[in-house]
Amino acid sequence: MIIEKTVILSNNQIADNIWEMKFESPQISQEYIGAGQFINILPNDDWGHPLRRPMSISSVQNSNISIIYKIFGDVTESLSKKNPGDTAELLGPIGNTFTKWESDVFPILIGGGVGLAPILNLKSQCDSADIDYAIIIGARNSSEQFIDHDPKNKIYLSTDDGSLGEKGTVMVPLEKIIKEHQNPYLFACGPEPMLQAIHDIALNEKIPTQLSVESYMGCGIGLCQGCVISKNTNSIKEHSYHEQYSLVCLDGPVYEAKDINFD
Amino acid sequence: MKRKISILTKNAVKIGNISFDNPIWVASGTFGYGTENPELVDVDKLGAIVTKSITLYPREGNPPPRIVETASGMINSIGLANIGVDKYIKEMIPIYDNVSTKIIMNIAGTDINEYVEIIEKVESVSSSITGYEINISCPNVKKGGMEFGVDAAMTEELTAELRKRTNRLLIMKLSPNVSDIVSIGMSAQEAGADAVSAINTVVGMSIDSNSGKSNIYTTYGGLSGPAIKPVGLAAVHKLFQKLSIPIVGIGGIVSSKDVIEYVLAGSSAVQIGTANYRNPGTGENIVDQLNQEISDSKWESVKEMIGKVKTLS
Repeated sequence: MIIEKTVILSNNQIADNIWEMKFESPQISQEYIGAGQFINILPNDDWGHPLRRPMSISSVQNSNISIIYKIFGDVTESLSKKNPGDTAELLGPIGNTFTKWESDVFPILIGGGVGLAPILNLKSQCDSADIDYAIIIGARNSSEQFIDHDPKNKIYLSTDDGSLGEKGTVMVPLEKIIKEHQNPYLFACGPEPMLQAIHDIALNEKIPTQLSVESYMGCGIGLCQGCVISKNTNSIKEHSYHEQYSLVCLDGPVYEAKDINFD
Repeated sequence: MKRKISILTKNAVKIGNISFDNPIWVASGTFGYGTENPELVDVDKLGAIVTKSITLYPREGNPPPRIVETASGMINSIGLANIGVDKYIKEMIPIYDNVSTKIIMNIAGTDINEYVEIIEKVESVSSSITGYEINISCPNVKKGGMEFGVDAAMTEELTAELRKRTNRLLIMKLSPNVSDIVSIGMSAQEAGADAVSAINTVVGMSIDSNSGKSNIYTTYGGLSGPAIKPVGLAAVHKLFQKLSIPIVGIGGIVSSKDVIEYVLAGSSAVQIGTANYRNPGTGENIVDQLNQEISDSKWESVKEMIGKVKTLS
């Protein structure tokens, strides 16, 4: 884990309220190990907003790191105003990665809202490893989507208002795809209600599933103990001394669905 | 065991009978147990590390959400999640024997017996820890000792009981959530504390106007960060007028300029808290900045600046 002053190479809006930012990050890119990992970005030097913001890595190419972010408030708004050549201080890479996606399973990748970045990153990993998979991207409406709905190539979009792809949540295409394939294995990141629904289907139908979860985070390095998620006793032990909670920054953000609870 | 030799004495300060290489410490709960991030921090440069509050038994802490950012600050309600004193003795104290930085163990309890039992356990083993900071003011846990911190008599009784059981440095950490912080500080001094530290977090609340929900599970939490610096400065200054024991200033310190303000208000040392979450190297950076700052100033040392603020009335 490194704190690195990086140079912003590009910062572009790719859909309504959704932006992609690329950094020249020779050090953090070296330590990066895979989809799921994130960086903690410090958008401004002033102390009006004291805390860094955790952002999932959407791709790493050579010494470049990219994130995809959604404008939520002042901090993400100020991020969108950054220009190529500006600097940004990153802390990372943080967290674990999706695993087992390359073994004898049919990966179904599900991303929604702010959870797109690690899922698109995993998609690239599947592509470069020549692995057959399906991907589902959920959004509120077509203006938030930036990929084509392409069921022939197993790329499915869903929108709440039906303006693009399937109408409804990601669960609509997901339930169909699960039935159509042997050994489905789910990989998901997105808003909590979406993860909860996937968590439920994973447990009820005994489908192996990895979820990348979101949490309020104070530091990202285990100091503040703020970013806990409820876990099943003793299922995750690596960094947490807790029986009941796991630290998302050190033990996550990727968990097997059976190991965590949304309550 | 490695022991460093101080070459920079202009920033050295004395608390009780202990000399610290510099006045920059890191605050309890913002630096874990001090050994978590060796790749990000050179802890040897710090004056002291105050470790996370330890209770008699391990604690899971509060349900999430535990943290929310607020204007120039943050609110936390971690709930004293910690490994408990037995594990601290078994796993952490041996590590501290090989750390050259001074370690101050922060302790929290729900009644006097718990504090006493923790100190007796630690005192019964050989250790290199420098002293104790007593959390009498954590606002997070319903039974977390609030009654000591708001009551002068209870503070005095607790301090006296602990004083009987250790010759190590004994620092009482004061809460700002009281009507008269000076009377509490005086009680700690009367009962034999070597120093007081001030302030702990300020009780705060954060609400999401969209959902109408509280942003913290326990509704109220502890506000920290630059937002509380003026509160901390005033507390330190008030305490300095009445107390003869040293004051360790805490609250919103992010730079060497903040340190100088706290020293001028009356602090002999300071603790860096919330800034560690943004960058755990903040303390060591400030140590360097402070050296430069003092060299460039009319002051010869930190010591001679203590309490020398020029008030206007």
